[in-house]
Amino acid sequence: MNLKPVFKEIEDIEEKDEGALNLLKKRLLGAAVVVLFFFAIIIMRLWMLQISNGPEYETRAYSNRVRIRQVAPPRGHLLDRHGREIVTNRPSFNVVLIQEDSPDVGDVLKRLAPVLNMDISELWEKMRDASGTPRYLPIRLKEDVDWQTLAYLENHNHEFSGIRTEVQPVRVYHYQDLAASTIGYLGTVSKKDLEEVDKEIYNGQDTIGKRGIEKLREADLRGEKGYTYSEVDAKGFEQKQLKTVEPLPGREIRLTLDLDLQQIAESYMAAGDKSGAVVVMEVNTGRLLAAVSAPTIHIEEFVGGISKQQWQALLDNPKHPLLNKVVQATYPPGSTYKMVTALAGLAKGVIDEDTTFYCPGQMRYGNRTYRCWKRGGHGTVNLNRAIGESCDVYFYQVGARVGVDTLAEYAQKLGLGKKTGAEMEFEKEGLTPTKKWKEKYRKAKWQDGETLSVAIGQGFNIVTPLQMCVMTSALANGGKVYRPKIVEQVVDPQGNVVENFAPELVSELPGVERYLQSIRKGMEEVVQGKRGTARNVAIEGLRIGGKTGTAQVVRLAVYRGLKEQDIPYEFRDHAWFTCYAPAENPEIAVTVLVEHGLHGGSGAGPIARAVLNQYFSGKINTESEEKAIPAVIDQQEEGGE
Amino acid sequence: MIRIDRRLFEHFDMVMLLLIFLVCAMAFFNLYSASFPPKEVGMAPYVRQGYFFLISFAAFVFIISFDYQELHFWNYPFFALIIILLLLALVIGSKAGGAQRWINLGFFKLQPSEPAKLMLVITLASYYSRKEIVDGYTIKELVVPIGLTAIPFVLILVQPDLGTALMLGIIFVSMTLFVKLRTSTLLTLGSLGIGLALFAWGSMLKPYQKQRIRTFLNPEGDPMGSGYQIMQSKIAVGSGGKFGKGYLEGTQGHLHFLPERHTDFAFSVWGEEWGFAGSAAFICIYFFMLIWGLNVAMHARDRFGVLLAFGVVTLIFWQAVINLLMIMGLLPVVGIPLPLVSYGGSSLLTTMLALGVLMNVRMRRFQTSMARD
Repeated sequence: MNLKPVFKEIEDIEEKDEGALNLLKKRLLGAAVVVLFFFAIIIMRLWMLQISNGPEYETRAYSNRVRIRQVAPPRGHLLDRHGREIVTNRPSFNVVLIQEDSPDVGDVLKRLAPVLNMDISELWEKMRDASGTPRYLPIRLKEDVDWQTLAYLENHNHEFSGIRTEVQPVRVYHYQDLAASTIGYLGTVSKKDLEEVDKEIYNGQDTIGKRGIEKLREADLRGEKGYTYSEVDAKGFEQKQLKTVEPLPGREIRLTLDLDLQQIAESYMAAGDKSGAVVVMEVNTGRLLAAVSAPTIHIEEFVGGISKQQWQALLDNPKHPLLNKVVQATYPPGSTYKMVTALAGLAKGVIDEDTTFYCPGQMRYGNRTYRCWKRGGHGTVNLNRAIGESCDVYFYQVGARVGVDTLAEYAQKLGLGKKTGAEMEFEKEGLTPTKKWKEKYRKAKWQDGETLSVAIGQGFNIVTPLQMCVMTSALANGGKVYRPKIVEQVVDPQGNVVENFAPELVSELPGVERYLQSIRKGMEEVVQGKRGTARNVAIEGLRIGGKTGTAQVVRLAVYRGLKEQDIPYEFRDHAWFTCYAPAENPEIAVTVLVEHGLHGGSGAGPIARAVLNQYFSGKINTESEEKAIPAVIDQQEEGGE
Repeated sequence: MIRIDRRLFEHFDMVMLLLIFLVCAMAFFNLYSASFPPKEVGMAPYVRQGYFFLISFAAFVFIISFDYQELHFWNYPFFALIIILLLLALVIGSKAGGAQRWINLGFFKLQPSEPAKLMLVITLASYYSRKEIVDGYTIKELVVPIGLTAIPFVLILVQPDLGTALMLGIIFVSMTLFVKLRTSTLLTLGSLGIGLALFAWGSMLKPYQKQRIRTFLNPEGDPMGSGYQIMQSKIAVGSGGKFGKGYLEGTQGHLHFLPERHTDFAFSVWGEEWGFAGSAAFICIYFFMLIWGLNVAMHARDRFGVLLAFGVVTLIFWQAVINLLMIMGLLPVVGIPLPLVSYGGSSLLTTMLALGVLMNVRMRRFQTSMARD
């Protein structure tokens, strides 16, 4: 190979154009400028990315690789006063989708639908409901899947990218709907809830107490979420666990409720398909041993969200199952109010124990006639008989003498007309009417005749069953109004008692004990007396003091004279019975209200009797009553601690 | 037999060699990290690249062993060989990702479009050095170089490999501008080029290529699609911060968030693990190498030497700039490797051959002619 000619030619050019070569080389400076220009751009860009925005990208790199998964804490258990479990938890497995890890959501959902035994449109609806959820957060597609589905998904997880299962504790109701209106239920955090709660703690997938103790004690019950931090690759598969923060279970709440009493009261209310309330309270402490609202809601309907139709049906139900009638419904107290009138009369010196009035079956006042429930009249009655036989005329007389404002004053002192302060939602205040009240709210002058209606518990008077029970307790315990309480003890997961029951005295009526003694004698007459209105409640070996009441629903002349069974249900009178026992040394007060139950003694009495029977069963010694009772009290105190 | 001139050693460019070794060493260590976690099957990329380094270095030594003047002659068979290989790639080439770019040689898949870049540099350098026009070239003289560029350009474009084809165009434009055009010619060709580009956008670009450009203009609009790569690369580089996460500690790369982490996005791994300090150091060394390359051109003994050295710098420089701007989100994803750093035998071999040419020009700057018998 001879390259000589080529080189020769080149050498010629070199010699000829030494200047041209230099000219070319000068242009290299321009090239160097271009190189340096881009060098500068690249360095500036590096500065921008790594120094100026470094921290931001660092965060993004972290969130890229680290999946933080919430671990729901087990919610605190709810126990009865003796430690028996009413509501606990069990694990439920949910199928969730993490959008970020699922490149083709449509395809995955299509294949997932038959596995979950769901229609594809349902899955898309879940996706729509969760729109706005960050791509890295799970969207719940199906809750509480069975083991077969779970196992299938775990084994085929690589076929369903972005689909995960998560475990979540759900409530177990050991006694179904027991105390449902008091305990309440849970639901998914709604958008409205999110506005009210701490967003640091809750997200849209969490459950939260919606009603009752579950809501009011949410902070105690919920516990603290745990987290697992795991490193994932770009396909979302977990590479390793970085850190785990165990969830902190919620606090256990021991309620003051007594399972047995609650159950028996509920079963009696359910037996006759009754609507109403039963309240059992310790007279010397304010512990609520039972709080029944009938008919009950069915908690199962609320688990996982209630449908609109079901909700509407509950709203339309004439017996108002959604209402916790213990505190949310008010009724005229009827004759149970006569103790207030009696106390006002005694305290004001209008009457004493021996004062008598003649009852001819009616009383003429102003230009109206006020009837006694007993057409034939009670004849000459003293206080004892007046309460025992519930003579209306006697109390018309007393009421007319003390006036409505005094009645209201004593009613309030006994706990009526104001919230009791129990841990129950939407408690009603009730009403103890006064002259001022009527002028202010009804824009009318008080008519003296109205005082007579109030004196026997009709008219503007309204009370809640819980207020009635508080009043009964106050009558039984010497005038102490206790705040009714539902929580016995709150225990944290380490076993520390963070809250313990302590009686809370709201108000006290001093110097009335001797009047109350007179009233209580009358109340004993109601049950124990030969002509008492609640003779049917009497239990052998147990002295009970009580009072029946009939709250008029309507005063329609149409129904006057009709047989009770012929009056339409919704126009029948409400039946009250409120009592305490043992009469010698009262322990508990029981208040029963049966809506449209007609008569206190027959409509409400048997339920109170069943409760008392349950409470005192095994404690009653018919042989030597006097000795047995103190022994029972000791035992009770021991058992309570 | 060729008698080796003692002056060859005297003028051997130790600085350039050191710079090349330095870049190669950093690239190799980076590749080791980018190879994690190891694949279940096959050779780890860094091991393969290690072999390529050895082969490429042998090629480098081979290139500096003869006078670069001989490239005037060897250019013809080299050109022919590349064209044949490009045609072969289209006929029997193996496909990957919708493109037919590789010829399977069993132990190694050759991508002929890579050496085509160097071939174009040598071809243009040879042509422009032999056909010297001091006042600037006109269209008449440009017909040949345009033709020489267009042949491989079209063959690569139809593979399709838009990035590499454009690279050929950039090399042609850079070298042609360097040798100077008449102003009128420049204006004519410039407007023609723009018209062609507009026409190409309208009719020739594949949908995925248009998508890449659109994505580049608005990467956040499509975070799961092609914008994902840019996004993840920016996160990788940016999260390196001042001093990086430490060698082998990068999470973006090791957890597969970073796509193509040992090929096109290799420098993202470096940026993530070494931070601004390490990245800036790397860029400084890399660009110093390029400036040193221009210095070689400055001291070349003849027009061919100047053009060869300039062409080699152009070749490496533009690829580096496009790659770096791409991984930092300033250019769309076009599939241009970072020479010496990105994994890939064809690219490495081509770059080392090109650097061999550069060294050759440098070593023989005092030689007036080749050693003769």
